[in-house]
Amino acid sequence: MTAGAIAWRSVGTPRAAAVVRPHAADPDAPLRRRGAIQIVDAVKYYGVGESRVLAVDHCSLDISAGEVFVVVGPSGCGKTTLLNALAGFHPLDAGSIHLDGELLCGPGREKAPIGSDRIVVFQNGALFPWKTVLENVAFGPAMRGAIPRDELLERARRRLAEAGLQGYEQSYPGETSSGVKRRVEIVRALMNDPAVLLLDEPFRALDALTKAMMHEALIASYLRNGSTVFFITHDIEEAVFLGSRVAIMTSRPCRPKTILSVDIRYPRSRETVTSKRFRELVAEATTAVHEEALNAYALGEKEG
Amino acid sequence: MPQRPAHVQAIRVGLANVRGLSDLRSEALDAVLLAAEEGETDDGQLVYGETEPVTHLYVVQNGRIRLERVGSSAEPVRVGPGQTFGRHVLAGVRGERATSEGPSSLVRIPEAALLEALAGKPGRPQSLQAPIGGPAPAVEGATRRARAAAQGLLRSLGGNALQCLRSPAPYRRLLGYALFFGSWYLAVEAWALPHFNRLPGITEVVHEWLSKDPTFGLSIYTPEYYAHIGSSLRRVGIAFLLATAAGVPIGLGLGASTTFREYVFPVFELLRPVPIPAWIPLAILVFSGAEAPIVFLTLLASFFATALNTFLGVRSIDSKYVLAARCLGATPWQVFRHVIVPGSLPFVLTGLQISMGVAWFSIAAAEMCSGQFGLGYVINTSYTMVKFPTIVIGMLTLGVLGFLTSAIVRLLGERLVVWRARELSMERP
Repeated sequence: MTAGAIAWRSVGTPRAAAVVRPHAADPDAPLRRRGAIQIVDAVKYYGVGESRVLAVDHCSLDISAGEVFVVVGPSGCGKTTLLNALAGFHPLDAGSIHLDGELLCGPGREKAPIGSDRIVVFQNGALFPWKTVLENVAFGPAMRGAIPRDELLERARRRLAEAGLQGYEQSYPGETSSGVKRRVEIVRALMNDPAVLLLDEPFRALDALTKAMMHEALIASYLRNGSTVFFITHDIEEAVFLGSRVAIMTSRPCRPKTILSVDIRYPRSRETVTSKRFRELVAEATTAVHEEALNAYALGEKEG
Repeated sequence: MPQRPAHVQAIRVGLANVRGLSDLRSEALDAVLLAAEEGETDDGQLVYGETEPVTHLYVVQNGRIRLERVGSSAEPVRVGPGQTFGRHVLAGVRGERATSEGPSSLVRIPEAALLEALAGKPGRPQSLQAPIGGPAPAVEGATRRARAAAQGLLRSLGGNALQCLRSPAPYRRLLGYALFFGSWYLAVEAWALPHFNRLPGITEVVHEWLSKDPTFGLSIYTPEYYAHIGSSLRRVGIAFLLATAAGVPIGLGLGASTTFREYVFPVFELLRPVPIPAWIPLAILVFSGAEAPIVFLTLLASFFATALNTFLGVRSIDSKYVLAARCLGATPWQVFRHVIVPGSLPFVLTGLQISMGVAWFSIAAAEMCSGQFGLGYVINTSYTMVKFPTIVIGMLTLGVLGFLTSAIVRLLGERLVVWRARELSMERP
């Protein structure tokens, strides 16, 4: 006789995905079966010939499904290169990337396909200024024609409302604040239920207060959605606050130097920031980043 | 009638066929459906045990459930699709164990909802209405959007008229005109400066223009005046439309396709600098009649202005928008339709305004060389026939028409790119 209760749900709601083991770094992470990323020996050069620069050198990362993986490193260390390769924007020169065991790019497949299973939230935001907030949010499913239009708009409205963005539906992005734009863009990405959400310093241009609000909003939507999050930042506190693991990268060429497991439970709140454990982790990360920043500085002097 | 997914509809039909539920009113059945839950079982999985209190009526959708009386020698009962179980438990009988034989799918209805429905009470009408997306919100959205668009347009036009009159802007404009016409008057008539004294004076021109019996035969009271205006307007209109119809697609092609650009752009850049008058002989050779060469000459410059601006518009689109659209699953055609076209629109509209301007530019040149009507023709023949005030009437009329038609193009354009107008109005302090 099989043990365990029947998973009852309201009539008409879709069946939940099969339950998988949460990743080791965060036992509280939403249960997911999609979104495990393996980067194996990624190599990327910039430029050609003698003057080419090694941007990423045999970088390997193993990211579990449903994890918030934060990458911290000095400017220009090649973090964005990894993200671009994951998204399918640029090819790697060597190495491979797998998503849930399937080859995204590597030998025999130069570039990963661009698709709605991996959605990028850009550094300066890429909401379409010619579409209203509602049209932006509905864009992905509308392009794929997956859902009837009325139902789709209704769902987009609901998602916006859940993110506290009701009232902005008919505004154009140009009419809203940068904080609202960022939130809308994250809602737009999550509307597609991506396996992986790729964020490239999305909160860089925001003021401290808005940034703090964005962190909590992101954690809330992450907990609801549970996509694997690949998050690039400079900001160590941001990294530790958001991440289940934080990878500190070496300065050029880019490779993981240390990977910290953040053993603080979600949902994290403002109180987390003042906790002793949080401070310890930030200090640890800061030391590692500082060394790399010095290396990068020395490298810059040599080149200059 | 609300639209339901097919399998939910199937469950509803299934419920309606269950004995005891078949005589329920439609709303009551909806309430039952709303309270119902579905679930799947594996082979051998327990639905409920003999000691559990059972609070639901179960309907088998697929598979088979074995019902056993614990401590009874009676043969187990098996229920299949469309049949119910657990009901007698509701009636207070206990000691039954329900087990799945093979994978099954079930629907269950809570006791309370069932009793409520059977008692003939209307279910929960509000919550039933909630998930049904009728046409109402869509209509509301459309009107709200139209209203927002209208407000944006008004805002872009500089708010209401009263506010406009309070600001210094209209007075500065009037003063600008006054300075221009004033210096004309002073230079030509009051002071009669050297060289300027050969020109027709403003009073002379205005007098001629408004005269019922004009000395040189052309004023606002003569039908010829409107014939000339009409024929120039028609030519410019046709040329503008043709230039737009050709220029926008070619500009989009130049911007969006590298291959197309490699083929076309060199030729485009070779022909673009050739001045309009240089085209006149060939135009007259190739096109028969008087109209066609003029329209051709008029549309040339407009075409280049429109195509070049459209091309620049496409190039101006940040590549992140294209990447974002592709990330969200857009096909290349959808990227073109939803990113390239709307993204280049502000540039296209600037191009159309320039295009309208240069159309008037070129038509004067074209009409001077051929044709029997039109303002360019008026200016040219007036020169040869020494009707100097009429030349100026022709020039001013060209100016006014060019000004008005460009303004119309701009207003239509602002209506098309409401988002840009609203963005700009936000930037204004």
